[in-house]
Amino acid sequence: MKPATLVRLAAGGGRTDALRMAFTAASAVLAAVVLLAAATVGAVPELGDPGDGSAAWNTRYSSPLIAEPGLRPGVVMTLLLLAVPVLFLAGQSIRFGSPARDRRLAALRLAGATPGQAVLLAAAETATAALLGSLLGTGVFLALRVLLDHPEADGRRPLPTDVLPGIAAFVLVLLLVPVLAGLIGAFLLRRVIITPLGVVRRTRSRKPRLWPGVLILAGVFVPFVIRPLGEFLAHAGGSTGRDLSIAGAFVVVLLAVVGVVVGTGWISYTGGRLLHRFGRRPAVLLAGRHLMADPWNGSRTLSALLAALVIGAGVLGYRAYMVTQFAASDAADRLSADGGEGYGAENSFYLNSVDLVRVAVAVGVVVAAAGIMVALAEGIVTRRRTYAALVAAGVPRRVLGESLAWQTLTPLVPAVLVALTVGLSLVRGVAQEATAGGGGTCDGTEAQCADLTSPYWHLSPEVTLAVPVPLGQLAVLGGAALLVMLLVVGVGLIFLRRSTDLDELRIA
Amino acid sequence: MTALLTGTGLYRSYGPTPALRGLDISVAAGEIVAVTGPSGCGKSTLLHCLAGILRTDAGEVRYRDQDIGLWSEAARSRLRRTDFGVLFQFGQLVPELTAAENVALPLLLAGSGRREARKSATLWLGRFGVGDLADQLPGAMSGGQQQRCAVARALVTEPRVLFADEPTGALDVLTGEQVLTEIVHVAREQGTSVVLVTHEPRIAAYADREVALRDGVLDPTGLGLGLGA
Repeated sequence: MKPATLVRLAAGGGRTDALRMAFTAASAVLAAVVLLAAATVGAVPELGDPGDGSAAWNTRYSSPLIAEPGLRPGVVMTLLLLAVPVLFLAGQSIRFGSPARDRRLAALRLAGATPGQAVLLAAAETATAALLGSLLGTGVFLALRVLLDHPEADGRRPLPTDVLPGIAAFVLVLLLVPVLAGLIGAFLLRRVIITPLGVVRRTRSRKPRLWPGVLILAGVFVPFVIRPLGEFLAHAGGSTGRDLSIAGAFVVVLLAVVGVVVGTGWISYTGGRLLHRFGRRPAVLLAGRHLMADPWNGSRTLSALLAALVIGAGVLGYRAYMVTQFAASDAADRLSADGGEGYGAENSFYLNSVDLVRVAVAVGVVVAAAGIMVALAEGIVTRRRTYAALVAAGVPRRVLGESLAWQTLTPLVPAVLVALTVGLSLVRGVAQEATAGGGGTCDGTEAQCADLTSPYWHLSPEVTLAVPVPLGQLAVLGGAALLVMLLVVGVGLIFLRRSTDLDELRIA
Repeated sequence: MTALLTGTGLYRSYGPTPALRGLDISVAAGEIVAVTGPSGCGKSTLLHCLAGILRTDAGEVRYRDQDIGLWSEAARSRLRRTDFGVLFQFGQLVPELTAAENVALPLLLAGSGRREARKSATLWLGRFGVGDLADQLPGAMSGGQQQRCAVARALVTEPRVLFADEPTGALDVLTGEQVLTEIVHVAREQGTSVVLVTHEPRIAAYADREVALRDGVLDPTGLGLGLGA
């Protein structure tokens, strides 16, 4: 097939296909903007003079997050983390309107396309939409760069609007999103057999196993041995040991997130079984059976939200640790004979930096919710003929709406609790208490200082404070996620209303 | 015979395109009426209007002497749950529910307990020869078996009127005739009226009377598919 034919066929679908391409392109716009922003922060040069102690501070920027080289990788990481739910949103958008696309692909197969060409077409459609989105996103990024460029009176800028990432970064971002989207599109078709007479989807009949639970437990309990293990490794192996313990921590975080996401499949199935076993109303029965029939739908659609919650809970735990650490330092300073300066005004700066990550998590939750909304709408549209037939037979729409709410919220509530617990445990495993003080300075000669009991020594008492569990903030985070999901269900009900329009019986 | 269901001066359009243009029809208790005609003549629209699925733009549909066009959507839904049964060509069974659960659904909606609903459902599945598939999901059944389940679901509440829109359209000839024979048998047995939409003469032949449509009105030739009006 010639590339021109491929593009023409890929972009030549109907209204649903156009809508799917628009969704995919919109998520690619977001992804491109976020990734280019990360690349820009990464491209900020280090201007300071290492010789005079101002090592690498870039004084062109008023925001310490951009000026201080130690904080810049954190900003880049935060932006990259933000790109994750955006890419999940792209993944959900690709699924939108799949029955219409399936019919089109089947028709193409009937016209002589090979199975490989059909998959290639689907992937090309996604990649084309994502490429358009990437190009548009690059335009949006360049426009934002101009619009947000407001130097202050002293000439410094709050944002690095005077820096551009290198050409390589631009090309990488432009290609990364379409390539990823195309690969995801092809990946989603791995269980689909496109025949000339229609599309057959192979379903997983195996029930979810408990092994994801082991990963969740690893996420909850392994952090408690990370610290002693890290200390041992650092003691025994020096910097290599320290690097190993940091790598171990990353692996644990990854395992925990994967465990929560995959474990939601098991939660969905078990929740479905319980609803089916104990539910009395038709709506509950429908929801229970739906969850049991496709338990992986929960983990697929909720994955970005749960990942954001794991990270969000971890950030809240870390913030609680920082606040406690500052309190311990201040207390130690007050108790020391000569008094100290403590962190003072720097406290708010560090806390603000962490709060920036909290904002990123909040944005991540909203973007993830948008992805879930697309998935929910897609599920409703796919089943619209069955729903319309049920309504025609007298099943009240209220029953279908109730069923939709049950099947969304049943796995969500326990999954949110697990995600928050795991996220918090990741931090509490290594930071249950904060310690400050306990050191000393000696203003005598070497001989005088040799005697630790000499009056030349000024010892500060050690202060250890327990890090509290930020229950209130966790409740706000979990509550906000549930609230956002309730809104998503509300929008889903509007889709349901439209999809059970009895005219569907004519066009189905 | 006294009319159980009547439609008088029924008019319904989709945008600028009229589907029904002042049509009159009546169905007596226990009567099987075939609505026939070419594609696009308004057969399904007539069925949807009579079943209260669609509102007419003009005219009235009376069931047991009450104008159901004046009823709320909820009241018409209740009517379809209690007094009417609805059967389509395909896409009616909930894919995640077993055959028995699908058939039990209308009973559960009407407030029956799960055990008694299940018992009735199994009984009805047995009547249509698919009792041994009670615990199967629709995806594991053939088209004919699925349609038998759908018929059982439409009749499980013992409705006074069964509306069937091309109920055998997706089945092979033999299976289609088997299913229709069973529908007619049960309808006769319990005195259920049937409004049967079809464009096939051999299916229309199962009816007591044929109402032939053409362009949204009764076929002026009255020939229909040959059964006679």
